[in-house]
Amino acid sequence: MLSDYSTIGIFLMLTLAFPLAAMGMAWAVRPKPKCKPDDEKLLPYECGVDTIGRTWSRFKVNYFLYALVFLAFDVETIFLFPWAVKFSQLGLFAFVEMLLFIGILLIGLWYAWKEGALEWH
Amino acid sequence: MQISMLAPEIEIALLGLLLLVLGLLLPHKGRGIMGTVTFLGLVIALLLSAAGFGQEEALFNGVYQADSYGSFFKLLFILAGLLVVLSGSAYIQRLGRRANEFYSFLVFALLGMVVMAAAGELITLYIGLELMTISFYILTAYLLNNELSVEAGLKYLILGAISSAVLLFGISLVYAVSGTTVISEIAGHMQFQPAMVAGIILMIAGFAFKLSLVPFHMWAPDIYQGAPIPVTAFLAVGSKAAAFAAFVRVFMLALPLPQFEWGLVLAVLAACTIILGNLVALVQTDIKRLLAYSSIAQAGYILVGMVAGNEYGLKGVLFYAMLYVFSNLGAFAVATAVEVETGSTSIEAFKALGKRSPMLAAIMTVCLLSLAGIPPLAGFVGKFYLFSGAIGAGYLWLAFVGLLMSMVSVYYYLMVAKAMYIGTNDDMTPIKPDTSTRVALWICLAATVLIGVYPAPLSALAQTAIQLF
Repeated sequence: MLSDYSTIGIFLMLTLAFPLAAMGMAWAVRPKPKCKPDDEKLLPYECGVDTIGRTWSRFKVNYFLYALVFLAFDVETIFLFPWAVKFSQLGLFAFVEMLLFIGILLIGLWYAWKEGALEWH
Repeated sequence: MQISMLAPEIEIALLGLLLLVLGLLLPHKGRGIMGTVTFLGLVIALLLSAAGFGQEEALFNGVYQADSYGSFFKLLFILAGLLVVLSGSAYIQRLGRRANEFYSFLVFALLGMVVMAAAGELITLYIGLELMTISFYILTAYLLNNELSVEAGLKYLILGAISSAVLLFGISLVYAVSGTTVISEIAGHMQFQPAMVAGIILMIAGFAFKLSLVPFHMWAPDIYQGAPIPVTAFLAVGSKAAAFAAFVRVFMLALPLPQFEWGLVLAVLAACTIILGNLVALVQTDIKRLLAYSSIAQAGYILVGMVAGNEYGLKGVLFYAMLYVFSNLGAFAVATAVEVETGSTSIEAFKALGKRSPMLAAIMTVCLLSLAGIPPLAGFVGKFYLFSGAIGAGYLWLAFVGLLMSMVSVYYYLMVAKAMYIGTNDDMTPIKPDTSTRVALWICLAATVLIGVYPAPLSALAQTAIQLF
């Protein structure tokens, strides 16, 4: 019992030690600045484009609709995969079951389609 | 195993899909029949569950239970759904082109409740719970142009998700210790250790949130107030009964008392819920908020029966949950009719209702008095079972708290009656609810009075259902 938890403990210590070691190493080998760094130097990103506006901007709702439809069919494949692997042993009952499952999902797709979720206005 | 034992569930699922498809196919004008289709579908489901009452069988290796206990709650949910559809049809028609999805979500929420009540396994229970609550998130935020409704929906989504996570974490801890999620097998694999206690406490917290027990009740008033009123009615009655159905099944079967004294924890929760729910209800001026706090207090009363855990108490839980459907939905049906007419949910709008519509005022008074537990109405018999169960189990103080706060509750219930009969209103036009609302109101009135005068049949039904424990 204890040895099970000690594995977790060792992992915890390693995960703590690793970033500390990396940061410490960087601190040790980097060139030391002679004067205080200015504001430009302390920006999160020294190079690239300056950010514009706030990050809490609104996203078009269609992103979420696409994501939802995608998620439904993504999960469907998870169910389809083991079913396809074992298909020959499962027989007719499982075949009908899967048809029902896909049928219900297709009604959902039909609904999303008809309500305009797949159109980008 | 026979598929026919799942007939009510399959019928309800098909009804939900049918409604979704009908909404797509029917031209705009033809959508008036959606309410009728929902009503007929639910009547068929009611008949199927009534026919299945008394069967006892475990399906899919105990994952799903077709037993009297589940059937009792199935009947309860379908009755609640029917009454909501009947009394809310005028309100739902006003939603315009989105009314068809409304019916569909209502039916899916109902399916979730049914699965919760009949689940014999924790993950199935959780799926039923999520089906129910996700449908309710959408229904709560249904009035998109109403700020209160959208806020309520968002609040419910966030808090509901957190509470589901807490419940799921509790389930995972119980599974980690016992090695099974099948409810009837957990007791056999119980080991008393800290992880188990943590799991049980997290599960109590998760269920307490769904039941809006103090101190997990903060969400209820805002959400009850913001949601469309038929949704509030269904949420207050159906969602609560479903949570009780699952709570009682899990705790009585999987986590029997001697292992961990959760009875006392629940007793304290019940006492807090009864006291706070009733006291805060005293100062409410909005009928939805008043009924929200009243339903918090009612959940406390029902919990008393579960704390008792004996025959009387458990019978009281089922009995009270059923009569609560009629009494509470009767009150909500009147509130819906008044809101459809006046557009207001404040108690001011009820002034002089006794003259504007004597029937509405009379039914409201009877239903509220039943909730207060005045004989000879149904609420009295229910409270009698619950409190005598508590006294039998040695929780005299809890029964005393319940009785005392019932007396307090009479005050705010009668404040509504006072507004209806003594208040004066500038607008004295009579309120005439449509036929389906009237049917729902008469059913609620008849059931509230009949159960109170002649409780034996319902009592026998509840007695059969609790044979499980």
